[in-house]
Amino acid sequence: MDFDIQTWISVAAFMGGALAMGLGAIGAAIGEGYTAAQANAAVSRNPGISGDILKSMLVGQAIAESASIFALVVAMILLFTSFTSQSYVTACVMLSSGLCMGFGAIGSGVGSGFPAGAACMGMARQPAMSGRLTTNMLIGSAVCQTPSIFALVTSFILLFTDFSARAVSPTWAAVLGAGFASGLGAVGSGLGGGLVAESGCKGIARQPLSATPVTNVMLLGQAVTQTTAIYGLLIGFILMFKSFPATDSIAPPMALLGAGLCMGIGAIGPGIGEGFTARSAVKWIARNEGATADLTRLMLVGQAVAESTGIYSLVIALILIFVA
Amino acid sequence: MEELGKVHQLIIPLFGRDLTFNLDVILMTWIVITVLILFGFFSSRKKSLLPGPLQVLGELLVSQLYNLTEDAMDKEKAEKYGPLVCALFMFLLCSNWIGMIPHLHEPTKDLNTPLSLGIMGFCIAHYAGIKSKGLKKYAKEYCEPIFFMMPLNVIGELAKVVSISFRLFGNIMGGAIIILVVSYLTYSVIIPPFLNAFFGIFVGAIQAFVFTMLTVVYISVQVK
Repeated sequence: MDFDIQTWISVAAFMGGALAMGLGAIGAAIGEGYTAAQANAAVSRNPGISGDILKSMLVGQAIAESASIFALVVAMILLFTSFTSQSYVTACVMLSSGLCMGFGAIGSGVGSGFPAGAACMGMARQPAMSGRLTTNMLIGSAVCQTPSIFALVTSFILLFTDFSARAVSPTWAAVLGAGFASGLGAVGSGLGGGLVAESGCKGIARQPLSATPVTNVMLLGQAVTQTTAIYGLLIGFILMFKSFPATDSIAPPMALLGAGLCMGIGAIGPGIGEGFTARSAVKWIARNEGATADLTRLMLVGQAVAESTGIYSLVIALILIFVA
Repeated sequence: MEELGKVHQLIIPLFGRDLTFNLDVILMTWIVITVLILFGFFSSRKKSLLPGPLQVLGELLVSQLYNLTEDAMDKEKAEKYGPLVCALFMFLLCSNWIGMIPHLHEPTKDLNTPLSLGIMGFCIAHYAGIKSKGLKKYAKEYCEPIFFMMPLNVIGELAKVVSISFRLFGNIMGGAIIILVVSYLTYSVIIPPFLNAFFGIFVGAIQAFVFTMLTVVYISVQVK
């Protein structure tokens, strides 16, 4: 059988769409299941406000679901838009776009489930604070979605930029690398951000008076947790927008693909680790509000150290792109 | 869908190099600045004990942001950096919200705006650090824990600028892309207002706050 370019592009678009939705379905489902489990426990604890808990559960689940809705949108575009191009790069772009969104949705989906579950439990414990808990949950989950939004940005830029004029040989690896960097890079940060937001909701339920510092430090911790996902986005952007000279050798394409993989995989651990740090900081601020300044400082220093492995990955990825 | 990559540019050749101006972004930034100046003028024009609505809004914003700065630094430093923090937050908030008005775009959607604000914060933080600690102690901090870690510490500092600006840019750009694509897919029926409310008002406000707070923290880490 002889395949022409157009067939390959369709094949890649179908595979990309399938992977986007398949991978993208993992995270949100886990997160929503966790939320529902916590909501069950909450209703059993305080059956009097089961209506409020149900509402809060549904809102939380809807936000957790948005990561997989992004994946659905990308999958739909891949399946129903006809892309015509005369370059094999386009096939790689389709596959990469799907992979990027699929991986990117995992972490945020799981992560957004945590604050929603904690908010349900918190309402059962402290019904007077339900308004504040819902606000905190919404803020926390929305920030949790940020890594998946980064993956979505990369995925759309891949889809709607014309790569066909570039040299096939290194560009195919560059676009695949961009997808891996941005997609895999979002996994850890999404999960880590969820851990932070969870302990924020728990903290407010435990000590309503500390709501303001808890929300502030939660936001700060989540923002720093996302740093490695942003490095992934950065490497993705460099790989997409830098034009590489054409080559016949297999080495330069592999360097570019390696840069993407290095940054993507390297970003997973720091994201989760920084999430642990910030989770604990927020948890203890709720118990000891007087020590907020010291706890925040310690959190930032600890996160900076936990992030150093992510910076090593960034340095190696940049070396692979610019030196190799 | 073609709107995704469209940029109005003004290219001026100067000494053999092309200076590229992004007209859209410049215009939108001017609009934001005008709105803020008018807000500042009208909210403080008739100051009275019984404040009007604009004065209440202005007082609320300023006092909240001052408190935030004071939590992170001491009182003296907060007096100094408070105006910067207020201005930064109001500018970002206005920039992120302006995209909800048809035919206007968020200036923060273009990487240049967040990046320049990030570089501004970085310069201020490091200037403040050198001023309060002295050059020697400032330079010594880069050699922690051992001297050969210096290149990585420097990269870590520079990466802060990248992360703070890409965070804002990615969120606003992502929101704008989602609104555009979903409006296109659903023929702008029912869904876009809700998306605008979430990505425009909600995410825009959160990200403006996060950017401001990170700048405050970067400064406070340097001055202590």
